[in-house]
Amino acid sequence: MIGNKVSRVEQAGQAGVVRIKWIPKYSAMERVFHWGHTVTYFALALTGMILFFPFLQPIAQGESGWLIRLTHRAAAIAYGAFPLIYVILEPRRAWMSLKSVFKVSRYDIDWVKGMVPYYMFGRHDAMAPQDRFNTGEKLNAAVIILGSVVFAVTGLIMWFGKGILPIGVFQTMVLLHDIAMIVTVCMFIVHFYLAVLHPLMWAGLVSMRFGVTSAAYAQEHHALWYYGPEKARETYEAQKAEQAAGQES
Amino acid sequence: MSRLAMLIDESICMGCRGCQVACKQWNDLPGEETVQQGSYENPPDLSPTTWTRVKFTELIQGDSLQWLFLTLGCFHCGDPACVEVCPTGALKQDPLLGIVTLERELCNGCGYCTQFCPFGIPRLDTDLLSGEGKASKCNFCQDRVTNGLSPACVKTCPAGAFKFGERDELLVKAHARVEQLKQAGFPDANLYGENEMGGLGRLYVLKERPSVYGLPENPQYPVMANLWQDVVQPLGTVAFVAAALAMLGFYFVARRNIEMEEVE
Ligand code: HEM
Repeated sequence: MIGNKVSRVEQAGQAGVVRIKWIPKYSAMERVFHWGHTVTYFALALTGMILFFPFLQPIAQGESGWLIRLTHRAAAIAYGAFPLIYVILEPRRAWMSLKSVFKVSRYDIDWVKGMVPYYMFGRHDAMAPQDRFNTGEKLNAAVIILGSVVFAVTGLIMWFGKGILPIGVFQTMVLLHDIAMIVTVCMFIVHFYLAVLHPLMWAGLVSMRFGVTSAAYAQEHHALWYYGPEKARETYEAQKAEQAAGQES
Repeated sequence: MSRLAMLIDESICMGCRGCQVACKQWNDLPGEETVQQGSYENPPDLSPTTWTRVKFTELIQGDSLQWLFLTLGCFHCGDPACVEVCPTGALKQDPLLGIVTLERELCNGCGYCTQFCPFGIPRLDTDLLSGEGKASKCNFCQDRVTNGLSPACVKTCPAGAFKFGERDELLVKAHARVEQLKQAGFPDANLYGENEMGGLGRLYVLKERPSVYGLPENPQYPVMANLWQDVVQPLGTVAFVAAALAMLGFYFVARRNIEMEEVE
């Protein structure tokens, strides 16, 4: 487990200085993958939408329209390359991340229940313990992973299958490509809000930039990852009991 | 002027391919090098430089052979799917004349028109990797008809198989001709294009069923084009606006309720 390795960062501090114990969360490759994928996704969404929305028609015309299509195709290659390079260079980490994205437990249901009070009102008395990714991050990752597979398959067929495959196949691919676009762009808007705009959510951004997270934050928000399942469950039960007692009195 | 059409009486066509040549001449399209396919039919298919082509069908009935000719080109549908799916507006339907034209300067080469035409008419001249290219098809000689001339193919036909003019008038003539053919021993004679795809701008009088000529008996507007343009596109717009507004709303609620001092 990565989270259990204590980092080199100094632990002894002087009086009056806030001591933060940093623990590693994302490898350099993971951060390059995340931001590379973000930039190419953005480019793909913008260039693709020019063909999709009728009101952008003037830009889609003639030479500029072709250059936009060319940009879409070039960006698509990079968009596909980032995850492939990650899988090739860090197969074990990639597998671990993939497994944790698609692992669903009771805690995820509890997390969803606690989501609205937490994100809207800042109440987080007894949030269900989370693994390296929380339920929302997992949902985002799952949608983007599955969406990317749909993009790649349908996009490559639109690119190389035109005129070779029956027209009904091409038509279906355009439609699926567009549906994937709509679903993932909505997900992207939510992800952008939570990761960048939300007042409470700066910690994730720091991790994705520098690769580390503070031990205190990990204890509170990723207890399952930090402590392991046993202790995380005990702490969660204790918190819930405390909260229930507090409500009674 | 009201909706224009051309009526091609395939019982009169003699397969001379004068229309093919006139089309190339007027539109400045080069000839193609082809190889002998075992038929007089040539070239074998429509292409970016062949917008009109006579298709030859050899129909053997008992011990007699019928040679069927069909002048293919854009059908100028009343409900053109290509126009709906074109992201550039290069494909347009003339609101008055009803003809479907392709403005090559506006085309960006995406090729959607080639994939949504139920007749497979538009052709794409494109680079596979970069996608650079242009689509092309018959424009109903827009430059000629808007200046009071008939299309080049109509003008040149030595057999008089082509008629050109207002669509309503041509339909009356076509029905009369079909009746005449039925009495002359062609019980399957029919008029193609009266109602198909919103009514075609290229009408045929045929001696045999359309499928014998290789025409779709019942061409349908592609459902996917409707789903795409009328459902997915508006849905996408609504979804994006809704998601963005919801996040903006959440942001203000969160700002109001979360005490930042408490967090830090
Ligand atoms: C592996 C990734 C991808 C590939 C190979 C790919 C390929 C393509 C191709 C070939 C086209 C047709 C236009 C043309 O022929 O040039 C297209 C259109 C489009 N793409 Fe992609 N694409 C990919 C990813 C994406 C992503 C991530 C998005 C958006 C978030 C996207 C959105 C669109 C849209 C909206 C269209 C226009 C479809 C329409 O006309 O309605 N694509 N893509």
